[in-house]
Amino acid sequence: MATVPLIAPSEELREELRARGGTSAARCFQCATCSAVCDLAPDGRPFPRREMLMAQWGLADQLMADPAVWLCHQCNDCTARCPRDARPGDVLQVVRSLVIERLAFPRSLGRFVANVRTTWPVLLGAPLLLWVLLLGLTGHLGVPAHLVSWEEVVPHWMIYSVFFPVTLLVMAAAGVSARRFWVLLGSTGPPRKGSLPVALGAVAAELVTHRRFGCCETARPRRWGHLALVWGFVGAAVTSGLLIVALYGFHMELPLPLTHPFKILGNLSAVALLVGTAILVVERLKDPDRVGRTTAFDTFFLVVVALVVLTGTLVEVARLTLPAAVGLPMYVVHLSLVLTLFATFPYSKFAHMLYRTLALAHERMTRENDQPPDPTD
Amino acid sequence: MNDTSNRPILVLGAGIAGLTAALEAAETGRFVVLVEKNPWVGGRVAAFHQYFPKLCPPSCGLEINIRRLERNPRIRLLTGTRLAGAERIEGGWRVILTRAPRWVTDRCTACGECTAACPVEIPNPFDQGMGTVKAIHRPHAQSWPERFVMERDACRQGCHACADACEYGAIDLAAEATTEELEVGSVVVATGWEPYPLEKLPELGGGVLPDVISNVQMERLAHPGGPTGGRILRPSDGAPPRRVAFVQCAGSRDVNHLAYCSGVCCLASLKEALYVREQLPGAEIAIYYIDRRTPGRNEDFLEKVAGTEGIRLVKGKVGKVLAADGGLELVVEDVEAGRRLHERADLVVLATGMVPSAGDLPLPVELDEDGFVLDDPASGVVPAGVVHRPQEVASVVRDATGASARAMAMAGGRA
Repeated sequence: MATVPLIAPSEELREELRARGGTSAARCFQCATCSAVCDLAPDGRPFPRREMLMAQWGLADQLMADPAVWLCHQCNDCTARCPRDARPGDVLQVVRSLVIERLAFPRSLGRFVANVRTTWPVLLGAPLLLWVLLLGLTGHLGVPAHLVSWEEVVPHWMIYSVFFPVTLLVMAAAGVSARRFWVLLGSTGPPRKGSLPVALGAVAAELVTHRRFGCCETARPRRWGHLALVWGFVGAAVTSGLLIVALYGFHMELPLPLTHPFKILGNLSAVALLVGTAILVVERLKDPDRVGRTTAFDTFFLVVVALVVLTGTLVEVARLTLPAAVGLPMYVVHLSLVLTLFATFPYSKFAHMLYRTLALAHERMTRENDQPPDPTD
Repeated sequence: MNDTSNRPILVLGAGIAGLTAALEAAETGRFVVLVEKNPWVGGRVAAFHQYFPKLCPPSCGLEINIRRLERNPRIRLLTGTRLAGAERIEGGWRVILTRAPRWVTDRCTACGECTAACPVEIPNPFDQGMGTVKAIHRPHAQSWPERFVMERDACRQGCHACADACEYGAIDLAAEATTEELEVGSVVVATGWEPYPLEKLPELGGGVLPDVISNVQMERLAHPGGPTGGRILRPSDGAPPRRVAFVQCAGSRDVNHLAYCSGVCCLASLKEALYVREQLPGAEIAIYYIDRRTPGRNEDFLEKVAGTEGIRLVKGKVGKVLAADGGLELVVEDVEAGRRLHERADLVVLATGMVPSAGDLPLPVELDEDGFVLDDPASGVVPAGVVHRPQEVASVVRDATGASARAMAMAGGRA
């Protein structure tokens, strides 16, 4: 006789899902309409019916290791058709936030950010305080009478000395989470074939147009919002990288004229970021019963992104048109928001970038031969 | 004994529930006014091909009931009639009944000369819109009272071809609606149900793809008096289907459609699968379900059908029905196998549920959240049949018998 239980239900997981708004899972009666209508689910391993059962039963280990949780893009085609209003799209969104928290390193930071409903003042306030302290300690609080460049107040070395270490720490923490997740993904299901870099390359190619997102019907505009946002971020990152190389490799002089290619790239990225953010915010404000409910976890990430994009654009406008006494404080607020965004990367919804990318790579490496062509190919 | 004790009982609806309630009361000795909106009696069951689980035709039971009705002098039958108003009075109701003009008098011998002369064809309402009939026609082969009916709204302006053709002078194109007021002791509401509209299920091909039909249409397709003379043919090209798929819970147990289970569609599909198989022995039949709901002794019927060669039962609700290469494709997860299937079919039968017909009753009845009439002993109104709760014919007959007894008690006095 077997002495180990075949399944280990976790009451804790059920409680956590409930606390985060995943209460509707209890209504599911396993009819499988969701798995039938999801255009993202592969025929060989359809979702989200099984995941709804795992959520109901509190099968934490299975949910954590399930790539389907991340193959879902919360387009809510399933929720729109669900006969029980069990809202599979929203339940999976909540499960994803739980995975991010549970695989976070250190776990305490994961919990802190997951608790954003109460901790948000710290998450937004601490970085601002840090900047004000740094400026105060180095005697840079206040605007000099004859200011030539904003660099006199917020010197580049100060920016680097904050962002380089934070970025390194964040990447290390994200690396630990990624490793944990990759091991979990490989612990069940069919064995992986091929190499991770090749799979990641294929995933990157897919992300260029977000073709997978295009399979969704109910929340279609979200694809374009997300695509603009991703490209805006890529553009902004490339611009920053080029600038650093140009500044220190080729001693380029700042500020650049608006016609400079770097400037054009940066401004185009800003437009993409603004448009993308606007679409995503508007989509979130639409009928939540249809396009999906928004939790505090979602709101925090979207608000930080929106504020970063908005203050970034305003700072550029202010630098050209307003006195430094107005522009500089705005600049400091912008830098502090960027710091919040960076520092919370492995713990906030931002981490979906990491988990979904790995899950998509895993899915490519475990795809069955008998499956019909992926909608993205 | 007071003077109200001889008031008749009003029965609304002459389907299997209303007929049963009226006959039980009349055979106990009460006077009954039986009101039916159609120009014929029998309701939904008159259109069905077979009952489950015995696979016998409803026409024979109906024939017995009609004979009982004909013989019973205590029942006054008013066809083509609706309840227009009701007012509570001491010990009963004062009701207003409006009777639509029939235009065909009781001189009609059902010879059919009028139909031959009629120039207008309309979709056949008795066949769920499949096939056509003339604007003046006999509703169906066994319809009773045995007189023709006219769909006057479809007639051409000023046309009197039927009246000219009728040698018995049975057509009165000047007939008008009549109204009468009655005092009754109690009211039995047996107004029945409507099939849930296919058009509300476009994702399952309902109202969009011609070869996606309802379970009620399937009954007409298989019925010898139906649009195909009882041959099961797919509507698009008239070919016999090689693969027939039954989609259970189509718009039922679904908060977006009917939130409740009608309780009969599983058994109806099992029955239809059997008679499709009998007529088309080579056909592959699949029934896609969430749960197989066959309560009580009907479990045996399920086992019988599940064990029949050529009939497959697949656990999983169909999510999509699409047109594909001259046929149909169903997308469904096979829950037991954990795989999503893309199944082919030539004919798809949506097992749609029953919608109670109680919405526009001019009676102060309370409805539950799904629209079924609630029991309220103080109201002087008794629901019977499907308008009371979703149920199959055998239960309807028992329900109507009980309702009849309660209506007699409410009406007071002695038989």
